[in-house]
Amino acid sequence: MNNTLRQIFRSGKFVTGFAIFVAILLGTLIYPLIITDAPLTIIGQGTFFPPGIYVSVYDSLGSTRYTLDLGEANFNRIASRLSEEDRIAIKEWLVAAGIPEADIDTADTQKLLTQWEENFDAKKSIPGMTNAKRNYYVRLDKSIDGLLSAEGAILAQANAETGALEQTGTVEQSDFVNVQQVANVRFLPLGTDNFGRDMLTELVAATRVSLIIGFVAGIIATLIGLTLGLLAGYIGGPVDDGIMFITNLFTVIPSFVLLILISFSIGQEQRGAFTVAVVIGFTSWVWTARAVRAQVISLRNRDHVNLSKLSGHSTVHIILTDILPYIASYVVMALILQISSGILAEAGLSILGLGPKTTDVPTLGLMMNWARIYQADIQGRWWAYLPVLVTIAMVTFSMNLMNTGLDQVFNPALRD
Amino acid sequence: MKAYQKYFTTKLVWFLTTFVFAFLLNFILPRLMPGDPVAVITQRVTQGMTSQSGAQAVYQQYAEQFGTNKPIWEQFFKYVVNVAQGDLGVSFSQYPRPVADILGASIGWTIALQFPAIIVGWLIGNSLGALAAYLKGGFDKVLMPISIFVSNFPAFGMAVIMLVVFGVNLRWFPTSGGYGFDLIPSPTAEFVWSVIVHYQLPFWSIVLISIGGQAIGMRSMAIYELNADYVKYSRFMGIKDWKIIGYVFRNAMLPQITGLALSIGTMVGGALVAEIIFSYPGLGFTLLNGVVGQDYPLISAATLIITVMVLIANFSIEIIYGLIDPRVKAAQAD
Amino acid sequence: MGKVMLEVRDLTTKYITRFREDVYAVDHVSLKVEEGKSLGIAGESGCGKSTLALSLMGYYFPPLYYTSGDIIIDGRNISGMNPDDVRRSILGTEIAYIPQAAMNALNPTQKVIHFVEDVIQAHNPKATKKEIYELASERFHLLGLPPEVLQKYPVELSGGMKQRTVIAVSVILGPKVLIADEPSSALDVTSQKMVIKMLRDLMESGLIKSMIFITHELPLLYNVTDHIMVMYAGQIVEHGAASEAVFDPLHPYSKGLMGSIIVPEAGLREHKLTAVPGVPPNLKKPPSGCRFAERCKYVRPECRGAAVNIREGGVGRTYRCILTESELREVYKNAA
Repeated sequence: MNNTLRQIFRSGKFVTGFAIFVAILLGTLIYPLIITDAPLTIIGQGTFFPPGIYVSVYDSLGSTRYTLDLGEANFNRIASRLSEEDRIAIKEWLVAAGIPEADIDTADTQKLLTQWEENFDAKKSIPGMTNAKRNYYVRLDKSIDGLLSAEGAILAQANAETGALEQTGTVEQSDFVNVQQVANVRFLPLGTDNFGRDMLTELVAATRVSLIIGFVAGIIATLIGLTLGLLAGYIGGPVDDGIMFITNLFTVIPSFVLLILISFSIGQEQRGAFTVAVVIGFTSWVWTARAVRAQVISLRNRDHVNLSKLSGHSTVHIILTDILPYIASYVVMALILQISSGILAEAGLSILGLGPKTTDVPTLGLMMNWARIYQADIQGRWWAYLPVLVTIAMVTFSMNLMNTGLDQVFNPALRD
Repeated sequence: MKAYQKYFTTKLVWFLTTFVFAFLLNFILPRLMPGDPVAVITQRVTQGMTSQSGAQAVYQQYAEQFGTNKPIWEQFFKYVVNVAQGDLGVSFSQYPRPVADILGASIGWTIALQFPAIIVGWLIGNSLGALAAYLKGGFDKVLMPISIFVSNFPAFGMAVIMLVVFGVNLRWFPTSGGYGFDLIPSPTAEFVWSVIVHYQLPFWSIVLISIGGQAIGMRSMAIYELNADYVKYSRFMGIKDWKIIGYVFRNAMLPQITGLALSIGTMVGGALVAEIIFSYPGLGFTLLNGVVGQDYPLISAATLIITVMVLIANFSIEIIYGLIDPRVKAAQAD
Repeated sequence: MGKVMLEVRDLTTKYITRFREDVYAVDHVSLKVEEGKSLGIAGESGCGKSTLALSLMGYYFPPLYYTSGDIIIDGRNISGMNPDDVRRSILGTEIAYIPQAAMNALNPTQKVIHFVEDVIQAHNPKATKKEIYELASERFHLLGLPPEVLQKYPVELSGGMKQRTVIAVSVILGPKVLIADEPSSALDVTSQKMVIKMLRDLMESGLIKSMIFITHELPLLYNVTDHIMVMYAGQIVEHGAASEAVFDPLHPYSKGLMGSIIVPEAGLREHKLTAVPGVPPNLKKPPSGCRFAERCKYVRPECRGAAVNIREGGVGRTYRCILTESELREVYKNAA
């Protein structure tokens, strides 16, 4: 046993898979201890806030101000405010005004603005330009001037009695606050989803639920498959024929069709995460049953089994002591695969709108489905689907890697 | 040829038996659920309906089709007769369109998309797996982890990645639909071109999904065959290496054909979900619409059609396999 | 003395493991087989006898590699030849091989006749299908196999039939040397007898000129071959006439294998080569002195010093021990 374990942990594939899996598992266990928010709390008033550190504007006004004279501050400010559209418009005007296109770089804010300042003339008539366009350029020039202005902003408060605005302070361009001193700062490493929920917290909770679904489904499928496989393989005869008939049927009838039918029939209200897991487990035992049966048949007439039979041991005793230990490795491998395919099955169901009901807990599949419905993919909100996909892929990949590693340990013919 | 006829007959009987059971399951499963399905489902269906007469018609249609007041064998008999006549009921969500009409419009898209994609994926996957087993070394070391990763990548995930990369970012292909939304199906060059362009992303997603698993399977089979005793013996009888490689890959390919028959159900499942991501007008998307619209007749009929398609594919593969592998005939002759 | 069909001088071949270690499974082996004679090679599994069989054909593929030595078949040295020439002009025509697991030696998805076509065309691309069929059916008939076998797939043949088919295919090009690697070990007794008879008939009819027979079942060797060679840890430890090696072994290993029994043949039947306690040395790091020292009943301190050479022990007889023949006989007598 020890020797087998040592061999398993010497397999690079197994160890890699195991490490990834344990890392994910630890993540789902430790994260909720640190961030204790309920995963489905809606915090954002709006959809798909991008990842980043969110600082309360109101609180930062009240924080201690520091003056920092940073050379690039002006430039950064202008660069961040000058939109891509404006840059392209500037380029168009400059080209029309006769500046060689090769000299213009819309990514180089400094140079672009210098060229603009030097060349722009509102009165210059450019052939083919509409009046509306001309006005647009005049406005653009004004706003660029505004951008370049060095004046600060004035803070005002309405007087409670008169209602008139009274200046309470100013904010200079060189004023800074220390994020550490701002009362309310929220780090959203993966932004928010379409409902305005913290993606990372939700993702961690979803991963945990999906893993549980996978485990429950995997254990149910493995138990059914193991029982049927043992009965068919060990008892043989009509029992074997009957079980194999059913097994063959469910091999050919696609399990996802059964999944869809059952899930739909159960109805949205009754469909909790656990129910979904059970349904998945009940529709995916076929391969385990086949594999176990094949193994048991090859074991059935081995000497040690015959010896046990001659010694008068009961069938249960023989199965427990003379058969199970020999097929344990296959059962473990089958379980690992079942878990990973259970997670995928849940995700597939959820995308079809047949996932667990959406009010209790998130699952990886539900998160994918929300992202799909709100078109996160087409709108380029990568944080709403990519982390979910990567998580699903890493979980199933790590499990299959472990499985491949085990396979190579137990079936030496497959070693490189 | 006698032996093959025997094989064919066995497979045909098996196919028909499976069909009957699949049909039964399709009929029974929704009826096994707790509560009164008619009440639950009609309530669900009529909830969103504005037209009172429509709701009434659906209720009658549904009660008649389900006929829960009659004994179950009578319900089943009626179901069989209806299906045999091509009457799959009337859609709830697209009332009063018949389900057969909706499915008829989508089934062609699914077959034209999935059949070639699964075959192409199977061919590419097997070639890569065979190459990995034969070349070993670096090629194998790079290809195998990628294959394992890709084969575990969820089907919808692959579709989303393809959509984002080639549809949204590079803008090479359209992101949704089976043809341009501004076109009407017609045999014009413009329409055909639009169909071809829309075909690419779903097609290659399904191909990519199928490749990984096939490559892994083929690699294992080919390694197993390369170590077989006949390889050593053939070498020592002076047969050229390329000829032996021919034996090996032919023999490794055969279990892969059976493997395809067994996994086609799963592959079709993944492909249906990929259709949804691309809003491709096939059965997957229809199924999604059925679920969203709580359209029981549509879902029931769609799952039945999908099952039948998978069974037919499975049966065809087994029949072809019997022609290719001499061992099948030999086994029947005993 | 007949014409020498196969002569091997100091042949050394090695396996390179996946951890890049060298394992010398055939270590400076020399042997000779004359026309019309047969040589038996015996030893425990893992002693290198099957590797020797593979090495003798001069056709190597990973993880087996040629290191040094000569293989001379009917006066032609093949050890330096390019592999493709070996394949075309040596394998099957000069030297042929019957593999250990003949059950699986035929491609399961190919009819026997198509394999025969591939074999013959690999050496003579001009041979037509008709010629090949005629030759094959004639040869099968001669060997007591129904020619219908040619039209069958291997799965349609019984185990014994498969084995005999493999033998018939192996000798179809009339090789000068036939190497049979445990050809009968997986068969039932009746099939075993048929295979042995077939091999004898082959020798008598001159279809093959000489034979090397590898087995771990000594009674078989004594019945079939003229000379016997015992291998241990990649080396020859004893080589002599069959009767000498079986009934009067010199090397302590051969002695141990046979015990000190001299019993009627029937008693030998149950006597397999597992009688020596202990396990062979790890060939990745063979011991510096005598390789058998660890398991030898008569071991002395000087055995573990330098490598032990082959000694002459009477006419046409060699063994590998630090003791002379008379010293050995003395030791055995005292032990008894």
